[in-house]
Order: sequence, then structure tokens, then C-alpha cells
Amino acid sequence: MDSTKEAIRTYILNEYLPGESPSNLKDDTPLRTSGILDSMATLNLVSYLEQTFGIQIDAHETGVENFDRIEDIVALVASKKGA
Amino acid sequence: MIAPIDLTADQQQLQDAAIAFAKQALGRDMIARDREERFNREDWMQCAEFGVQAMPVSADYGGLGLGLVTLISVMEGLGYGCRDSGLLFSLNAHLWTNSIPIQIYGTEAQKQRYLPGLCNGTLIGANGASEPDAGSDIFSMRTRAERVGDHYVLNGAKTFVSNAPVADLFVLYATIDPALGPMGVTAFIIERDTPGLSVGKHLEKMGLRTSPMAEVILEDCRIPVENRLGREGRGAEVFECSMEWERGCILGSFLGTMRRQLEQCITHARSRKQFGKAIGKFQSTANRIVDMRVRLDACRPMVYRIGQLKDQNRKAVLEASVAKLFVSESLVASMLDAVQVFGGYGYMTEQEVERDLRDAVGSTLYSGTSEIQRNIIAKCLGL
Repeated sequence: MDSTKEAIRTYILNEYLPGESPSNLKDDTPLRTSGILDSMATLNLVSYLEQTFGIQIDAHETGVENFDRIEDIVALVASKKGA
Repeated sequence: MIAPIDLTADQQQLQDAAIAFAKQALGRDMIARDREERFNREDWMQCAEFGVQAMPVSADYGGLGLGLVTLISVMEGLGYGCRDSGLLFSLNAHLWTNSIPIQIYGTEAQKQRYLPGLCNGTLIGANGASEPDAGSDIFSMRTRAERVGDHYVLNGAKTFVSNAPVADLFVLYATIDPALGPMGVTAFIIERDTPGLSVGKHLEKMGLRTSPMAEVILEDCRIPVENRLGREGRGAEVFECSMEWERGCILGSFLGTMRRQLEQCITHARSRKQFGKAIGKFQSTANRIVDMRVRLDACRPMVYRIGQLKDQNRKAVLEASVAKLFVSESLVASMLDAVQVFGGYGYMTEQEVERDLRDAVGSTLYSGTSEIQRNIIAKCLGL
């Protein structure tokens, strides 16, 4: 779980928050509702998750409920990997 | 640091062949065809015989499997030798928004069915994404795709569809749910004679007039699920891939056009005499030509760098936008300079200088406007 979270955190920091202090990106930092992830960034993140974790995420699963916080994304990935 | 580009001997030979082919076979009767907005299917087939449409496609599907640097070198040659920029635009639209996405995202059956025809010239491809209210904000599209059993039913309208009046095959985008934004967009391959698809109003343009453009209307257009291109809700990915290739590669022919105009301006400035000497001896004229040369030298490595990156299977989002922005704006500036160097004659249709300017203006608009390119670059810079 921790490695999944770290991979997601690193991806978001590198791709969408370059120069930001890693300590400012917390598990519950709003991503979608704060604008850190716009819709295209979410699409790219979904592709990254699918390729990295070997899962498939459907279009209807990409809303705020699953992508607004790192902990939500980690939970989605975990549920997919366990499915 | 942008590395300079040296073509290999084989690439140089191919470019030379493309120049000779274009000068000999393409772009006849251009003034009349531009005026009448006539696409030349014969020239299209000649390009196919030369291998242009097959170059980036795998040999498994009737292509030549050539690398992108090689293809850019050929496009540069065609831009230099061919005065029909509309034809080159149609070829680019076909290659980057049909052949390449089908090759990358298509199923084996789709590749087998469509790529050979797209390579040999018998199929002309068109791409429909823009809508009257979805231009730069492309993923706000309203064209709907509703899944009904083993089909999708498409309803909506696309505008600015290059090649539409002559196309045999369309890659069109529709959303399964507008509320999903980009995640709802889905790509489809649609054959021209599919019931429910019709080509609408012909769109007259300022330039690239030999590349036909029209609206495409979808009315209860039933598309089998096997004609979906890529996964449901992943059309944005297909579209972005198309744009990344198109942004980078459509620029190859611009290099040739810029070189041709530069050479014509030098020739004219050496031979045209005013006030007792060649106009090239006047600094105000010479400086324009110098600027044209500087732009060409600055543009060329940018374009070839995209080819190098894509040939290495690397992403080129930032590089493609940087090049698209700079090269298209340089093209317009240089074509404007060419008109000025030729003076009143440059303004006359007969000289065929003003057409290059009209053809150039669209380059800062299609495949993402200059404003959109700046947005992409800013985002890549973390801004």
C-alpha cells in the first residue's frame, strides 16, 4: 500500500507540481477540487495507474469521488488490484 | 540545446527524389485549382505511388515502416518542390489523424481492414473532432455516442473536417456522457457509406483551398462496437496522440516552403533593379531576406527533433508545441516578407507568392492555435 501511495505521490509531484515541496502534498490534499488535477491531467494519471499497476479504470470511475485525494486514489487502485 | 540536423545519405537521396517527383508530377494548374477549390485525386494517387502515405505505417499493413525523421525529410522535399500546399495539408491530415491513430490504437482487424487502403491511396482519411461550440475547448463536444447492444448510435455534427468531401474513412469523436468531460470522449472509425453519416456544407477558406473541408453530420448513425477506436472513454488519448504527431510532423513541409520562398526572394532581389541597382543591395530588402533565412535555420532543428524523439518512442508533447508555435508563426512572417520583397508583383495572383501567404495563415490555427500551444507549453513548465 505504501509503495502504491509513494508512486502516485511521486507521479503527481513530478508531473503537476514541479518545484513544490513534497511535504505540501498530503494524503488528503484536494487534487481535483483544488485544480491540481484538471480533466486532462486526470486522464493522464488514469493511464499511468493502468500501466503501472496493471489495472483497468472505467470512464465512470474517474470522478471526484475517486480522484480528489491521494488516499482515494490508493483505495481505488487497491480495490482494482484485489478484484 | 538543439542539435543541428544532418540527414543521412539515404535520407538526403530520398529528399532529393521527393523534390524531383514533386516538381515533375505535382501542383499543375495551381492558380485555377486554388480559385476553384479543386482537390486533385490524381496527384493524391501519384503521392501514394511515390510512397508518401505508406511511409510511417508498418510493413505488416502495407506500409514502408520508415522512421519519422525520414518522413519529415520527405515532407520537407515535397514542401520545397510542390506548390500545392493544400495537397500536402490533406496528406498530413490523412496520415496523422487516421493512419497513425489506427496503427497505434486499432485492433488487429481494424489495421488489416483499413491500413492497406490508407497506404496505397485508395482510401482517403478525414478526422472530425471540432464542433461549432467546441473548438479549442475540444472536449466539451456535444456529439453523443449511445451504446445500444453491440452498436453505438451517434448523433451530432462536426465542423472544419479536412478532406471530408473526398474522404472514404472518418475518425470521429463523440462523448458517451458530456458530464465526464475528456473521460467520456470516444473515437470511432466510420466508413463513408455508413447510413446516418452525411457530408454537409462545403466550407470555403482563405488558404489551403485545394484541400477540401466540410461539415459532417451524424443522425442516428449506427456504428458497430468493433469500429470503436481504442477503449470507451479514451478518445481524448487517441486525439491527443494524433495532435502530438500532427503538430510535429505537419511542420516538415513548411520547412520546404520556407526554403523555396527564400531562394525565390534571393533570386528576385538579385535580378530586380530599382534606382540603378539590384533591390537586394538595399538593406531594407536584404534584411527581410536575412530574417527569412534566420527563421528557417531556427525552425529546422525544432522539427527534426520531434522526429528524433518519436523515432525513439519518446513523448514529444512539449517539443511538438514549441515547434508548432514557433514554426507556424515563422512561416507566416516569412511568407509576408516574401510578398513585401516581391512588392506589387508579390500581391498579384499570377506570381504565386500571395497564395503561399494565404496558405500559411491557417498554420497558426489548425492542430491547436498558437494560444493553445502556449497553454500546453506553460503546463509542461509547471505553470
